[in-house]
Amino acid sequence: MSSSSDEKKTILAMPVIAASYIGPALAPNLDAAWDEAQLPLNPDDLVQKIMGQPMRRAGRFIKMVCCGALACLKKVPPGYLKTKKIGIFLATGLGNVDEILPFITQVFKHEGGFPSPNQFANSVSNAAAFFLARICEIKGVILTISEEELSFESALWLAQSYLENGEIDLALVGGCDVFTPTVEEYHERMNLKPDNARLLPMGEGSSWLLLGKGNEEKIGDILAVEFGSKLVPPEEVSASENILSASEKLIAKTASSGKKRFLLPGFRMDKTDTHFWKQKGWEVDDYLPYCGIYPTAAAFGIARAMQKNTSTIFVHYNCHASGKQVFVAASTK
Amino acid sequence: MKKSDIYVRGWGAVTALGWSAPESAQNLIAGKVMPARAGTASYLISPEYKAFEVPYSGNPLGKAQAMLEKALTEAISRAGLSLAEIAESSLLTGTTGGLFIRNEYEFTEAVRKNPGKESPAISCRNRGPGEVSDLIAGKYGIRGMRLTFSMACVSSSHALVVAAQLLEQKKIRRAIVVGFEPLLNLTLHGFASLLLYDYDQCRPFCATRSGMQIGEGAAAVILEQNGLPAQGKGKYKFAGGYLFNDNNSLTSAGIDGELVGDVIQQTLTSAQVLPGDIVAIKAHGTGTKDNDLSEGRGLVKLFGEKLPPVVSLKGAMGHALGAAGAIETAVWLSCLEEGLIPRSFGFVETDPEIGFTPALKNNPAPNGAYLFTYFGFGSTCTSYLIIKE
Repeated sequence: MSSSSDEKKTILAMPVIAASYIGPALAPNLDAAWDEAQLPLNPDDLVQKIMGQPMRRAGRFIKMVCCGALACLKKVPPGYLKTKKIGIFLATGLGNVDEILPFITQVFKHEGGFPSPNQFANSVSNAAAFFLARICEIKGVILTISEEELSFESALWLAQSYLENGEIDLALVGGCDVFTPTVEEYHERMNLKPDNARLLPMGEGSSWLLLGKGNEEKIGDILAVEFGSKLVPPEEVSASENILSASEKLIAKTASSGKKRFLLPGFRMDKTDTHFWKQKGWEVDDYLPYCGIYPTAAAFGIARAMQKNTSTIFVHYNCHASGKQVFVAASTK
Repeated sequence: MKKSDIYVRGWGAVTALGWSAPESAQNLIAGKVMPARAGTASYLISPEYKAFEVPYSGNPLGKAQAMLEKALTEAISRAGLSLAEIAESSLLTGTTGGLFIRNEYEFTEAVRKNPGKESPAISCRNRGPGEVSDLIAGKYGIRGMRLTFSMACVSSSHALVVAAQLLEQKKIRRAIVVGFEPLLNLTLHGFASLLLYDYDQCRPFCATRSGMQIGEGAAAVILEQNGLPAQGKGKYKFAGGYLFNDNNSLTSAGIDGELVGDVIQQTLTSAQVLPGDIVAIKAHGTGTKDNDLSEGRGLVKLFGEKLPPVVSLKGAMGHALGAAGAIETAVWLSCLEEGLIPRSFGFVETDPEIGFTPALKNNPAPNGAYLFTYFGFGSTCTSYLIIKE
């Protein structure tokens, strides 16, 4: 991977204070079984469990955003958050398609049918972040960022700049996308073709990290978020040698010796040669079978790895269909 | 952000007033402004929702892409960017609908081509807001960081503020900030369902106002630290950028004007500019009851008797939603190049609850600080200054 020399590299580690992941089985922080044909599942039990009350007028996307983020925040004592300036960085590739589709269907209905104002309000791109901010009583920096399959890493990169400039003390960074039928249309929305992604079931999820910048009690660190400045050709998207070399370079900048190393491959990497990685001293943490393919699946993989493995260092590798690469290096306590 | 040395190196815009920022500005200044009209594009299904449509004959998808390309090409050309400079630039895009127009166009075409048959279900095939930045980056060879803000009406104004902040931190070398919003049935009907759409005329800050009218368009603004001046008459510094998101109301920034006043005060403080130094205000001024009341009251609280000329561009170009920040900035800059601050359109009668009349004639545009404000859905607020040097 080559990077633009003019852009400041992300060197300062971001302590991860808490992490939480929810996949298509809607079971927080569990690798629960699920089935693409049954999606989408009703999230109301999840809402009740996490929020303690129903969210009657919200759609699935808003419910998933709020549940995922609150599951993460619940891992820290409430008093800890009270005095802190928190920024919200919601990453989503597709946003609230679950609200947009029924609304536009009503609009185009030939025989009347006045579209619901509530549904329109919920379909607006930043409605989910607004509701989350309201529930958490957060004001200030609340951003919704969308960059297809690189949305989560983009939000992470931006959060780092906000932490660094002192505007916030903590960053609540999450990735959320929801399954909307049909599977074929979901494929099209994600630009998935047989030759540019793994063949896996489609999924959904809402996974979050609470990041700090000081000497907080932490479960690990995000060590680097690095975007490539060149587009790799399709035949190099899954090239193990190149990915290994970039990953080694990235973690060489950090004090990580002695820790077990993991590669987390994103869904554009169509094959992972586990034998090759083992030979080089790396394990492969293949998280995608636990969450399926969706634009912000990287958030699930990273949040899950943060919780699952202790004393490790891992690199998540993602690549946009255009060939733009991004690596996220992290370590666990 | 303090002691900014971020400059605007280039800009371009396509609006209902013209296929370039200067053309839009010249028409605005000359008063060649057509009222909003029923949409002529084949996919727009409800003539009662008048809008500010960019004139074009041809396929609406082709038009959407042509708007983007024209705005980008104009901005890049004005900035005089080399291919290497374009490649190392970062791209920050503000859009809510992205290329959702594709779904609406394909659906209406399917219905049109199959008369008498039952309508198919509408499909959602676009790739989310980030698709726009992928399209632009691929077309122009932009290889830097990409960030798409999908934040309703403040999408591209937030993008401008974030871009300036990243430049200040030296995280990026140059920012190409894009706003893009083609007309959609989704938003026309959506704002009408919220009873926020004016079926007659958009009348910002007027006592008789009853809602917004949507305008489509695309724009690009290129920011750089210590950058070369744009090819033109003036040098324009971007300063005091501030964004804030409240959580009190999904649809209003609070009609008491407190939040609006606070946001603008923060902007002035961080740029070390006094209220009395502001030459003119490019207000958000949507023409909705609550937005104009909250913004108007906030401006009066802060500026009092010394309120400089207040201008809303939405009576002339409509509300470009997520693209409003980039579009209004680009057109305003071209007005400054013409040496004039444009007047507001659509105003008839002073609202005693607001207490001021927006500028009803063009004014000279001297050097100095111009304030820009945006207050959007989800209690989102952006404000910044552009200082003409």
